[in-house]
Amino acid sequence: MLAFIVRRLVVSAGVLLAGTFLAYCLVALSGDPLARLRQDNTPGVEDRIAEMTDRLNLDTPVPLRYLQWLGSASKCLVPFAAECDLGQSVRGQDVTFLLGNAVSSTLQLITVATFTAMIVGVIVGIVTALRQYSRLDYATTLASFFFVSLPLFWFAVLLKQYVAIDLNDWLADPTVSLPAAAIVGVISGLIWASAIGGDRRRVWISFGIAFAATAGALLILSASGWFASPGLGPVVVTVVGGAAALGLTALLAGFRYRHVLYAALATAAVGAILNLALDQVLSDPSYLTLIGLLLLAVAIAGGVGYALGGLQRKQAIQTSIGVAVIMSVTIFIDRMLSAWGNYFDAVDGRVVATFGSRTPNYDGGTWGNLLDTATHLLLPTIALILVSVATYSRYTRASMLEVMNQDYVRTARSKGLTERTVIVRHAFRNGLIPITTLMAFDVAGLMGGAVITETVFAWQGMGFMFVTALRDVDPNPAMAFFLVTGLAAVVFNMLADIAYAYLDPRIRLS
Amino acid sequence: MTTPTPDDPFRDPRSMGAAGSDPLDVPAAAPTEEIGPDERAHLGHLGLSRVGAEELLRVEDLHVDFPTDDGVVRAVRGVSYSLNAGEVLGIVGESGSGKSVSSMAVLGLLPKSARIRGSIRFRGDDVLGMSQPAQRSLRGRRIAMIFQDPMTAMNPVHTIGDQLAEAVLSHELMPRRKAMARAEEALALVGIPQPKTRLRSYPHEFSGGMRQRAMIAMAIINSPDVIIADEPTTALDVTVQAQILEKLIEVKDAVGAAIVLITHDLGVVAGMAHRVLVMYAGRAVEIGETDEVFYNARMPYTAGLLGSIPSLEAQDASRLRPIKGAPPSLINLPTGCPFSPRCPLATDICREQEPALLPTDSMGHVAACHHWDELAGVDDPTAFFRSESEASR
Amino acid sequence: MITPGDPAAPAADAQGMTVVARTQAQLVRRRFFRHRAAMISLVVFALLLILSFSATGIGPIPGWWKHDYTTVGSVVEGGSPTLSVVPTFLGGDGMHLGDHPFGQDNKGIDYFALTMRGTQVSIMIAFIVGALGTLLGVLIGAAAGFFRGWTETILMRFTDIIIVMPLLAIVSVLANRVGNAGPFWLAVVIALFTWTGLARIVRGEFLSLREKEFIEAARAVGTPAWRIIRKHILPNTIGVIVVSATLSIAGAVLLETALSFLGFGVKPPDTSLGRLISDYQSAFASRPWLFFWPGLFIVLIALTVNFIGDGLRDAFDPRQNKVRS
Repeated sequence: MLAFIVRRLVVSAGVLLAGTFLAYCLVALSGDPLARLRQDNTPGVEDRIAEMTDRLNLDTPVPLRYLQWLGSASKCLVPFAAECDLGQSVRGQDVTFLLGNAVSSTLQLITVATFTAMIVGVIVGIVTALRQYSRLDYATTLASFFFVSLPLFWFAVLLKQYVAIDLNDWLADPTVSLPAAAIVGVISGLIWASAIGGDRRRVWISFGIAFAATAGALLILSASGWFASPGLGPVVVTVVGGAAALGLTALLAGFRYRHVLYAALATAAVGAILNLALDQVLSDPSYLTLIGLLLLAVAIAGGVGYALGGLQRKQAIQTSIGVAVIMSVTIFIDRMLSAWGNYFDAVDGRVVATFGSRTPNYDGGTWGNLLDTATHLLLPTIALILVSVATYSRYTRASMLEVMNQDYVRTARSKGLTERTVIVRHAFRNGLIPITTLMAFDVAGLMGGAVITETVFAWQGMGFMFVTALRDVDPNPAMAFFLVTGLAAVVFNMLADIAYAYLDPRIRLS
Repeated sequence: MTTPTPDDPFRDPRSMGAAGSDPLDVPAAAPTEEIGPDERAHLGHLGLSRVGAEELLRVEDLHVDFPTDDGVVRAVRGVSYSLNAGEVLGIVGESGSGKSVSSMAVLGLLPKSARIRGSIRFRGDDVLGMSQPAQRSLRGRRIAMIFQDPMTAMNPVHTIGDQLAEAVLSHELMPRRKAMARAEEALALVGIPQPKTRLRSYPHEFSGGMRQRAMIAMAIINSPDVIIADEPTTALDVTVQAQILEKLIEVKDAVGAAIVLITHDLGVVAGMAHRVLVMYAGRAVEIGETDEVFYNARMPYTAGLLGSIPSLEAQDASRLRPIKGAPPSLINLPTGCPFSPRCPLATDICREQEPALLPTDSMGHVAACHHWDELAGVDDPTAFFRSESEASR
Repeated sequence: MITPGDPAAPAADAQGMTVVARTQAQLVRRRFFRHRAAMISLVVFALLLILSFSATGIGPIPGWWKHDYTTVGSVVEGGSPTLSVVPTFLGGDGMHLGDHPFGQDNKGIDYFALTMRGTQVSIMIAFIVGALGTLLGVLIGAAAGFFRGWTETILMRFTDIIIVMPLLAIVSVLANRVGNAGPFWLAVVIALFTWTGLARIVRGEFLSLREKEFIEAARAVGTPAWRIIRKHILPNTIGVIVVSATLSIAGAVLLETALSFLGFGVKPPDTSLGRLISDYQSAFASRPWLFFWPGLFIVLIALTVNFIGDGLRDAFDPRQNKVRS
């Protein structure tokens, strides 16, 4: 395993070196940074030309210039060294300085987009594979074709012009009318009915329940003024925890034996109690505290699963940890929404942001700032992940269908395993293997997509920096972009390889 | 063929593994005990006149259709057979004769699109009418299956031990440790050396023969009453084939199971089966005791199959007498006997009327042929398939 | 004891069906024509192609549309579209094109003419990218898969290097420079970076095909390498290549429009659908049609081509012969 990783590292480093060299040459070829100055006739322009030639090292031949750039760039690899140097921009700023903020905000965008796309895409893919040739399957197929064919920049502008403005207008006086609730209810009913499937009676029952629940919830929330000051509260957190316990038990263990269910419910109960008990700690925690609390939740859940799991200890631990994570996320959202009122006033009611990655001069404590980031991430993320969600879901669907036709799935059925076990243990695990390869490609795609999204939403990230640099014929920031995206691509490729090796024992030895 | 003796430690299926700690095992396993050791020894020999032997599986008038883009594929068209405790029934036929499909129907493993009619009874209970959980509790526990290709039939991402233990755990709640011990025992039984370390191996670390042994271990781990072996040796080397077949018979006797052996290899059937069912174009065309069918074939197709086997005893190669042509399309079957286009004995009646499966000159030997008496009239039925060159010599 | 041996094929198909014999080409054609979405898309795309190329003309040949995409005119009724599709009996204005069906821009240029010209350019670029990228991909993939050894290592590492860089970004760098040289050179530059996926696929196909018995048989009788590739391997990879080429056209339309939107693609005086969106993005609030028409056409092109590709994939994929409910 170690040898495998080391060999991958060496190959990746080689690819990265060659890639940066190619990019360096292309960037150097793409334009002359001095062109604008040469047309300038103001006195003293010669000095400025000479100064910039010197600063950008322009009189050195390109390959040599690359080596010098590489030499100073490689210092960035040394930890805690202040010498990290990626050259200067045409305006004389250090590229490392420009990069600092850009990298973190782009990583924010890409990480959120990757995880959202993966989770949503894989779930949709599995459901449609299990309901092949159903209406839901046809609808999602059609939708994914549409998403893949949608120009990102066009869609992003549409989001910005319509969704943001309309949503903000609606949030100023948030009420759901009866017809609107009915329409949303029908849509939700259709989705649930076709996802659950079964005979006609079951379809109608699931449609009815989903319709009533959705429309009812919308109307009640609207009437109680929830949309004006949203929040979840301890009751909802507890209910979500209970639902997660039931759902995950159904998914991972079934109800034939009760140990897993008891462990999951106990975890949910502990979570609900801790949510109340830690009220003080949660009112304005540091980010480190938040991470610590998440780890604590996982540890407690593991302990509960271990203690109550009985003969199904392994599944009990898995289920309990799942419940703990879902509850933590719910509590997180609950706390974030607690800053809503404060934030709403601070941004004059224009909650859905369309410009930049944070509200300037706003400081609402931990939760306020997180909410601020979330509202800024909302639209760029939606724009960015459409293609990825479509790709993941198509890929997962195809992969699951392929796996479900394999002989070993038939063998699993012939052993008398429940359909749940066949799908979760045998089909899903194998179906995931090709998805890991997709992940590496998708991150590179998202980096490209970020160029467009950041331009449209003026998100001060790497993509924005790159486009500006290219327009200004500014080689060093453009190069920094390629260096970082190349690194990210290599890292994600490695992660994908490791995930692949973890999932597929056949390649562990080679 | 080994016959279980009363002192065989594996005679009683419940003596295997941790069955003693298993409360669920008691009622289901009880009926097997009705067959005493004497009776079993008797059954083991030839399978003749199995009076008093318990009937485990009865398939009656089974039809399976698959709707496709090109039309309805009628894969199985009215197959009936029964299987007694401890018996080995061979099902023989070419690819696409419906032999695999009919046995998959027994286990409920056919795709959802399949349309199944007829009745399948296991110990008198209607399998097709059962609830899903009831059907599931039969699968792997009372009726187990061994598949053709050991390379693809095991999940590559789970260890052998996990895959074996899973078969136990899906029917009984017990500590994983105990299930693993059962798995180890089963691996030892099928002759895998160092079973304890092998539990942690992945399927790709096994050779083909070893994998098929593991498949057999997986099938017998719950001491089933019936094992359906779907071409268990087709994908293996010839030398390994013999070992696997021998092991299959050995473990069958150890756990006291009956076997439905599906194969296109008449040699395998001849060496193992008590009775043979020959299938052609989705129907049973001949059923009888193995010796009866082999020495007194009463259906030209069976005779043709026998004539297609190269034999060491034959003096010259020209004795090979293949059946000409190919099996018919199961979407558009010809009228009359489906074998008539390839049959040297076919007359007008064959092309108009599909013959029913009727008794022939010996007990328990049925065949679907208008002209079975013509075959009865000659010494070597395969001679009908003699090629022109051979005939003119 | 009878020795094993049987006339039947050893592979027993679970479904066990025999289908009337048809040639591969017939099967592919039949499956494709049965793919409803692909057929509708094919018709729509053909109409789109005819409309865009005949309206503004190709090169020196004039089109049938009365306005030119460069001629500045007087702005009528604020430049709003005169196209009406609601019949009078439904309370609309009746079905007619009017003088400026898609409206006019702020300089009074007819927007239908502009959109048609943009569609034409975008489709042209996409087809060149599709053809050139496919050619490159097949050549590189075939060379790597057939010759193996150092050729393969070098070519595949080179492919890895290009894949590591975000496509849109690396193309922007070069396109920014060559955009002024006209759409053809822009297409060439895009194609230089879009062959990687196909090259990997073709290499994989070659690797598996070259181990097949019929290739070994051909090699055994001394068939030269290029002939084996041309006569035996390529025909077996044609499905993958055709599908990939089709899908790459859809990808190229989106890539080119994105480039032009960022300002690195097609440069004035010429235009493309992406360029139009970029140019009139600021006019969004006052004249939304300037924004919607080109977007609609991009979606139409990409969607129809994607569906055609999907239809082709289904047609070439033998697994489609499986039992369906």
